[in-house]
Amino acid sequence: MTSSPSAMDVDPPNYDHVTINDSDVHSIVLSYLVHNCYRETVESFAASTGMNQPADYLDGIEKRKKIFECALEGNALKAIDLTEQLAPDLLESNKDLHFDLLSLHFVELVCSRKCNEALEFAQTKLTPFGKMQKYVEKLEDFMALLAYEEPEKSPMFHLLSLEHRQQVVDSLNQAILAQAKLPSHTPMERLIQQTAVVRQLLNQDHAKDGHPPFALKDFLNG
Amino acid sequence: MGGVEDDEPASKRVKLACGELKGNPNGSLLSEPSVGSSRDLMARLLQSEDDEEVIGSKGVIKKVEFVQIIVKALYSLGYKKSGAHLEEESGIPLHSSAVNMFMNQILDGNWGGSVVTLRSIGLKDESTIKSASFLILEQKFFELLDAEKVMDALKTLRTEIAPLCASSNQLRELSSNLVSLSQGPSAGSSNQANLRAKSRPKLLQELQELLPPTVMVPERRLEQLVEQALTLQRDACVFHNSLDREMSLYTDHKCGRDQIPSKTLQILEAHSDEVWFLKFSHNGKYLASSSNDRSAIIWEVSANGEVSLKHKLSGHHKPVSSVSWSSDDHKLLTCGVEESVRCWDVASGECLHVYEKAGVGLVSCGWSPDGKWIFSGVNDRSISVWGLDGKEIECWKGQRTLRISDLEITSDGKEIMSISKETAILILDREAKSERVIEEDQTITSFSLSRDNRYLLVNLVGQEIHLWNIDGDINLVAKYKGHKRTRFVIKSCFGGSEQAFIASGSEDSQVYIWHRGSGELIGTLPGHSGSVNCVSWNPVNPHMLASASDDGTIRIWGLNSHLQQQKKQQQVHSNGGSIAAACNGRT
Repeated sequence: MTSSPSAMDVDPPNYDHVTINDSDVHSIVLSYLVHNCYRETVESFAASTGMNQPADYLDGIEKRKKIFECALEGNALKAIDLTEQLAPDLLESNKDLHFDLLSLHFVELVCSRKCNEALEFAQTKLTPFGKMQKYVEKLEDFMALLAYEEPEKSPMFHLLSLEHRQQVVDSLNQAILAQAKLPSHTPMERLIQQTAVVRQLLNQDHAKDGHPPFALKDFLNG
Repeated sequence: MGGVEDDEPASKRVKLACGELKGNPNGSLLSEPSVGSSRDLMARLLQSEDDEEVIGSKGVIKKVEFVQIIVKALYSLGYKKSGAHLEEESGIPLHSSAVNMFMNQILDGNWGGSVVTLRSIGLKDESTIKSASFLILEQKFFELLDAEKVMDALKTLRTEIAPLCASSNQLRELSSNLVSLSQGPSAGSSNQANLRAKSRPKLLQELQELLPPTVMVPERRLEQLVEQALTLQRDACVFHNSLDREMSLYTDHKCGRDQIPSKTLQILEAHSDEVWFLKFSHNGKYLASSSNDRSAIIWEVSANGEVSLKHKLSGHHKPVSSVSWSSDDHKLLTCGVEESVRCWDVASGECLHVYEKAGVGLVSCGWSPDGKWIFSGVNDRSISVWGLDGKEIECWKGQRTLRISDLEITSDGKEIMSISKETAILILDREAKSERVIEEDQTITSFSLSRDNRYLLVNLVGQEIHLWNIDGDINLVAKYKGHKRTRFVIKSCFGGSEQAFIASGSEDSQVYIWHRGSGELIGTLPGHSGSVNCVSWNPVNPHMLASASDDGTIRIWGLNSHLQQQKKQQQVHSNGGSIAAACNGRT
């Protein structure tokens, strides 16, 4: 570790000698697009850069995309079906995920004010999970929603939010990719995380320099 | 006046009464209703028919309330007919008609009706109405669940209960009942044992407790009042000292002095020098004494109260300053002054162990309540804790104790007390490792702990004994004076039935006894010919007291009646059971 101030600069001249391989960059971008199911973009990017992709790659993207769309718009049961088709036994071995997906359907019923149906659904599909203690509290959270005429105003309103659905979808995505032996986190994500950690460690060692922690936004803005 | 409802408006009553008076054989209030003084008439009638009519010599008992609690007591005792009859005869109903309706609605399960009636009962507090409504609707909810009408229960929860609830926890708990987590869909069977709703009478009882007493007379109110009076009488009875719990309602309770030990029943002379300390065992069957003659003695108390020597414990090379009984009374600790602590087996009198520490001397001893370890004060001012095997477990250094010092531990083993400075007592919390201190304004000579761990009795140089409350905030509760103390360490103790008395030794050779609550000196017992150093009251027999004196003897004190009995028995012995003794009769 050199002690010259230049090593600490955000844009030191040292960077210039680090060569960057184009195809590496392409991989990073492509993997991001694949992970997030931007099928058409994947196709045109691959074509532009001359990368070749196996056919079932795109197929996999399409199927995942469908699953997530269903889950996000509230059609959790269809999402579960498609998941079973794409990756059988995935939900069996990911009980947490299975519970989360089922509860999305429950929430949907509650939001459409179909409370009786919701109660029945809970009794048949959710209570079997209740044998394990960790699900009991979650179950109680969901059941409490039934008590309110306006569940959006209840203390558990976050369970109805888009953020919550997105979280479930993200977990599902990671699980599916993991099962297919693909990375569950994109290199892009990991690179950004690593930069932030390195910057933090440097700051700890040389606190006087007072560089702000790594923020992608600021970095992009120059 | 009979037969008129109390809640009818006054004017109506007056009209009726006017009409009645003319032909009323009872004569009521006025002997000659005169038209001219109709206003007087009205005024006086109003006063008497008022809800504020009072009875009793002090004029503080309201008649309506008095009758109502009697009616309630009749019903609680099961005398329904009498209760109903009294309501009718006195014209004072136990409950207003609204309350009666409410009670019936609850028992019939008419939930909606009862919630409505609730509002017309006349409750002023909105939160009470809310809480009561919640209880009722909760019952409705659970009864629906028990009848397997889950959807109806859900509806009740959403539309009726949720608007009432301030607490989301309550709603959460209720909604979790909508599904059954136990195995199988048919778990919600109508098995009696699985019912979630409480019984309706139980609900009514809970509601009664919630509603103010002006609306619904509380259960057992008459018994409560009588018990209050009896307790006051007993507390006021300065000489009350018996195990007998019976008190009569016919006369006020008042004991005579004859319940306090006041006569010497026995003189025990086995020590050859000043007796410094003594203490009864927890079960009252033994007495242990320690003396300047370097020994301790275990005495046995027989069933008829006679005390005899069981074991003499020799081994110490120094005078024995104190003893301590284990909680089960199987073992005894004795402490030689600035020497060692010995542990003895009570049954055999054998010395089981000697606890000592190199270079220092031990000055006091005590048992942990579970009997697993002993602790003792050391003359380097620390307190040591030992396991039964003799290994030192802990040592609290610093100014914890003085050279001549008492040591006490609470019966839950949590706090240890010792005299840490001349004018202060240290209370150490073993678990929390925190300390509290009682500060006195004079030098402390000794102290003892009450059986309920809440009070400390502290002897001071200035011939006063102070009683401190140590439960929660420390504060001085009472002072006792009269005895003499100038040169020696004198010890005092709690005693008697419910530890209602304080007893102490004194340098004027007498035993002093005070009533704890009032501080009144109620007995001075002469007999010893030297300073009385220590007293101990038998924890099981409130009529037996023992005292230890510089005259080398121990005296056992008892009731005057016991003394008379003793004398008679002795007479019978010496006369060989003559008829003359029998003819003397019993007092």
